[in-house]
Amino acid sequence: MADKKLLQVNLVASDHPVWSGTATSVTIPASEGVMGILPDHEPLLSIIKGGTVSVVDPSGERHSFTVADGFISFDSNKLTIAVERGQDVIRTSGTD
Amino acid sequence: MASQLALKSRINSTTSLGKIFNAQEMIASSHIAKARNVALNAKPYTDAIFDAVQALAAHTDIDHPIVKSKDDGNPRVAVLALTADRGMAGAYTSSIIRETEGLLSRLEAQGKDPQLYVYGRRGVTYYRYRNRKVAGTWEGDSDHPGVRVAKSISDTLLDAYMKPKDKDGVNELYIVFTEFMNMVVQRVRVLRMLPVQIVWQGKGEDDGSDPEGSGAKVAAEAPVPAASTSADTSADTTAVAQVGKVSPLYSFEPSLEEVLDAILPKYIQARIHECLLTAAASETASRQNAMHTATDNANNLIDSLTRELNASRQAAITQELTEIIGSADALNKQEE
Repeated sequence: MADKKLLQVNLVASDHPVWSGTATSVTIPASEGVMGILPDHEPLLSIIKGGTVSVVDPSGERHSFTVADGFISFDSNKLTIAVERGQDVIRTSGTD
Repeated sequence: MASQLALKSRINSTTSLGKIFNAQEMIASSHIAKARNVALNAKPYTDAIFDAVQALAAHTDIDHPIVKSKDDGNPRVAVLALTADRGMAGAYTSSIIRETEGLLSRLEAQGKDPQLYVYGRRGVTYYRYRNRKVAGTWEGDSDHPGVRVAKSISDTLLDAYMKPKDKDGVNELYIVFTEFMNMVVQRVRVLRMLPVQIVWQGKGEDDGSDPEGSGAKVAAEAPVPAASTSADTSADTTAVAQVGKVSPLYSFEPSLEEVLDAILPKYIQARIHECLLTAAASETASRQNAMHTATDNANNLIDSLTRELNASRQAAITQELTEIIGSADALNKQEE
């Protein structure tokens, strides 16, 4: 799937940027349950309470981040995840 | 004329003071790079919040207490003064205090009842020494304002703002802080932070091109007390670019009200954090400037003291010579 559409992800904590890059899909702990976002999703502004954000990058690798208290905004294939507590953001990466 | 011994000891003490000032200046310069890093790290988050608030404002008619003044005849307003924790920063704290006093008396003249909140040990000490009533204080973070202190400040102030009139709530929030223009110029500003004023901007070009990334800020005059001569008072404005751009229709999860409730306090917190960061940068810069001037002064003082010491030594030598020659003359005359 070489022509697969990608979305641009930017994950920022309130005191430092955490991760940015392209992804094929992103899973988000939205306030009313886990939400998956694929490219060309409709524009969205949603609150996230806390949990794990996982990002699948174009090579199929999955990055997981523990986040707390923030929001996401998605518009024209740009996803911004802004979370409150930078200290709580733990980055673990690995393939599965 | 002072004795040579006294001059020498003054020169010695001035030299060591000069060394201290020089060291302080170098410390301040090294802190500036750090402060810049902290500000750069916090910027993406602030940008994200601004974008979200702009999107919210563009797509909905925001009806939320944070953006609408309550207009219930409550005279209480909150004033937050951002001062330094430590001295040796020239006029940094005293100009903030002067501006705060001016703002307080202007507000009182308008029949309002200002509640003072102070950030930074110097300001706290100033008001405590004068037995002034202070509603809340924060100390110990003015060098490196973190997210935690920004959150604590915004929580306290938003809490006061959201409270109803009969429970000591406040109607407006003003922040007195020092804006960092560049290394040499720092400007004291008064900002009306709450209620947030949303400005519908005619032109779309300004949007996003603001170098500070603080949303497109326009110089909209807000109903604030008459601006003083030393600092300008402006309202915190969030401009929304609209013209010539069809905005996508956002959907809000779980609901618009909940998104507003979650994002607007974060927006205030991000704004306050931004103020704290620019104040910290200004503090460092004005400390560096003050220490630079102090080093120069110490060197000038050493020069003039050295000159005085030389003159007095020369005078002593001349006097001794005169005495020797005079007595030699007298001896010669006796032998004749």
